[in-house]
Amino acid sequence: MKSLLIIQGQNSPELLERLLRIVRHRGFSVQNLQAETSENEQELHLTLTVHSDREISLLTKQLEKVFGIVKVATLSQEAMVKASA
Amino acid sequence: MNGAHFVVQALKQHQITQVFGYPGGAIMPLYDALYDGGVDHLLCRHEQGAAMAAIGYARSTGKVGVCIATSGPGATNLITGLADALMDSIPIVAITGQVASHLIGTDAFQEIDVLGLSLACTKHSFMVKSADQLGPIIEQAFKLAQSGRPGPVLIDIPKDIQLGDAVNYVAIHAAQTTEAIDQHKLNKALSMINAANRPLLYVGGGVGMANAIAPLREFIEASKIPSVCTLKAIGAIAHDSAYFMGMVGMHGSKASNLAIQECDLLIAIGARFDDRVTGKLDEFAQHAKVIHLDIDAAEIDKLRCVELAMTDDLKKLLPLLNVKSHEHTHEWRKKILKMKVDYANRYDHPGEAIYAPAMLRQLAEMQPRDTVICTDVGQHQMWVAQHMFVDRPENHISSSGLGTMGFGIPAAVGAQVARPNDMVIAVSGDGSFMMNVQELGTIKRRKLPVKILLIDNQRLGMVRQWQKLFFDGRYSETILTDNPDFVTLASAFDIPGETIVVKSQLQGALTRLLESDGPYLLHVSISEEENVWPLVPPGAPNDKMMESLQ
Repeated sequence: MKSLLIIQGQNSPELLERLLRIVRHRGFSVQNLQAETSENEQELHLTLTVHSDREISLLTKQLEKVFGIVKVATLSQEAMVKASA
Repeated sequence: MNGAHFVVQALKQHQITQVFGYPGGAIMPLYDALYDGGVDHLLCRHEQGAAMAAIGYARSTGKVGVCIATSGPGATNLITGLADALMDSIPIVAITGQVASHLIGTDAFQEIDVLGLSLACTKHSFMVKSADQLGPIIEQAFKLAQSGRPGPVLIDIPKDIQLGDAVNYVAIHAAQTTEAIDQHKLNKALSMINAANRPLLYVGGGVGMANAIAPLREFIEASKIPSVCTLKAIGAIAHDSAYFMGMVGMHGSKASNLAIQECDLLIAIGARFDDRVTGKLDEFAQHAKVIHLDIDAAEIDKLRCVELAMTDDLKKLLPLLNVKSHEHTHEWRKKILKMKVDYANRYDHPGEAIYAPAMLRQLAEMQPRDTVICTDVGQHQMWVAQHMFVDRPENHISSSGLGTMGFGIPAAVGAQVARPNDMVIAVSGDGSFMMNVQELGTIKRRKLPVKILLIDNQRLGMVRQWQKLFFDGRYSETILTDNPDFVTLASAFDIPGETIVVKSQLQGALTRLLESDGPYLLHVSISEEENVWPLVPPGAPNDKMMESLQ
């Protein structure tokens, strides 16, 4: 199943790498990724579409644990379809 | 004050009196600062040994363990220890030197991307990029290592920051906010427990980590709910507790594994449904509803979807489980008591050869109170778990999640340094012992009275057992008949010892081991044909265990 994740965190040089490692290790593949830092580079905003047979909560709970992560929001594909209908 | 002295001062502020490590180029400024004293440093003979000594220190005391290494190979050698600490949720702060900032990314001498390497094997990691970050990062590292689900945290410090001027830092301690317990969930948990006819506690290492042994025991005492434990929770429940059946899982007791399959309510406390516990997951406790209590929300529904979960500090949660024993669980408790008798460990063993399970039982009965048992990994580790007993989880130190051979000797070094007045026994196998044998040098250096019980079957015994059972007896690379003479080897480190081969030698040899003033090596030769039973074969449910070769 595809899921859209919106992640916000306090930026650090390796935060993106840290998050992507978790995505891979927990059995998810990245299909789309957009990463942006705030102007002062203090914050990281990440939007990514991931795919897996596994429940998305297995990934989001791991991402929420990462030090510096402020918010992890999910939109599953079904919900997106319903929302746009 | 330079950055290195600042680090030593910060360690002192965190009440760190003992660290373990190995010097090298990029960490020399920190070693220069340590030379002034105030923090005791124990030189281990390999960075892996230092990391595992820090783990032994942390696990035997509940304090944070600190290890130090240089850049490049020093840091890569720490990695296995950090992974071990991550899997077993042990609070460790690792400090590594890094090449000077301007050399990072140039493939400088002894440069490796330690921050990158650390991502998969730490709870968190930092690289210090400027002097003003040093204070807040050290503060955060100690906080992270101990908070929530504990774990290892690494701080990589470039050499120029160690040598440059420090920037003063005053920690601001914010008041801790604690979330209120969800009363609705608590009431539901209580009504599920009160309604169950066959409730069972599945107790994991999280209870000890949360310092919640006392409320757990009170809950067990009041409710009389039968219990099983994981490898890491050995010692959490008193070994002679009436309805306690010992370890569950692949090499768990028969009573534990049958009880799991028969219970109608499983209460998992600080446990994570590891595959070595559950066997075939779909058939694990398949008649049971599950209540899961854990500090880590990511463990909830990870492997087993549960009816009710509460994620909070177990020290706070467990006292709220106010449950009395119920008449309707009487039949279940009677059955548990019968299974404990019917499937009790047996120590009758024909012939003169030493039977390791019986020897370990004998040792457990002879050892002084509050002895710390450290094990390596393999058959001997499972025999210790099955046949020895301790009454505090800090007294049973075994690499559980990662299963790291070579863990036992350095962990015993750390435990003995931490608890100089208690006896520390390292139980090892001939395979594992050789993996960190250099730490005998550390025992000699500090004159540590570690007792080593080396169970030698001249095989990589656990792999051999699987080769026998599942690979048609094709003993690929598990025969160690060319082992060194272990007693001679130990004597080179001023560690006296002896070899025994028959049962009649046991009593005297175990007495000499326990009564020796300093370190001692008791080398016990056993048959390679001995196996660890019971065994739940890989992929099988827990009630389909093998109990012998037949």
